[in-house]
Amino acid sequence: MKLFLQIVGLFALLLCVTLATLSLKHRGADGPSLLFPGGKLVSGELHQGADPDWSFTDQVGTIELETSNPVSSRRIFVMESGGKIYVGSAYMRSMLGRLWKDWAFDVEETGARNAVARIEGVRYERELVRVNDPKIVEGVARKSAMKYAGGATPEAVAQIMKQVADGDTWLFELAPRSR
Amino acid sequence: MSTSTYIKVCAGSAVVWALGLLFVSPFAQAVEGLLLLFLSTNAR
Repeated sequence: MKLFLQIVGLFALLLCVTLATLSLKHRGADGPSLLFPGGKLVSGELHQGADPDWSFTDQVGTIELETSNPVSSRRIFVMESGGKIYVGSAYMRSMLGRLWKDWAFDVEETGARNAVARIEGVRYERELVRVNDPKIVEGVARKSAMKYAGGATPEAVAQIMKQVADGDTWLFELAPRSR
Repeated sequence: MSTSTYIKVCAGSAVVWALGLLFVSPFAQAVEGLLLLFLSTNAR
């Protein structure tokens, strides 16, 4: 029994060391890692002028998204729908989600909506706008299911739409900055 | 395992683990992948 507890204790210690080490390692870095947030997105050309045809993001698995209060960045899925691009934040009603997806709470609570998206090495200055309109959500859900859930079956689309309607998933448009 | 031996094992393991995460990128990426798998499976 003592040995079992010692092994459990060792695993718990290594988990704590992992979280602390990787969090410190990536804090302030030019972009996030797979899981841990990074700092300000510095490298890469800053896009100027009109928005591109966002359909190219259909071939992009994840983008890097920097939010402004506090300045931090993370990897995130991206969905194009109707010529606009969207990002989502899931697990918003769970405790793990509260810890893991703190950026979305920060955006909603502080109103600091300015963001920078780095997509294939190019930075785009955007504004995060929460989306709840079912017509928009349906298009985004369809694209999300197609890209990330193995196909846009009616069941998959309906499930994503329900998650958004229930507040389990928050959806944001990466809109052009208004100022 | 005696308490003093256990503490030494913990300290040594923690140092080696942290250095691996800091300086061996494939190791850090593998550990992050496992954490991500855990979170995406259990965050409900």
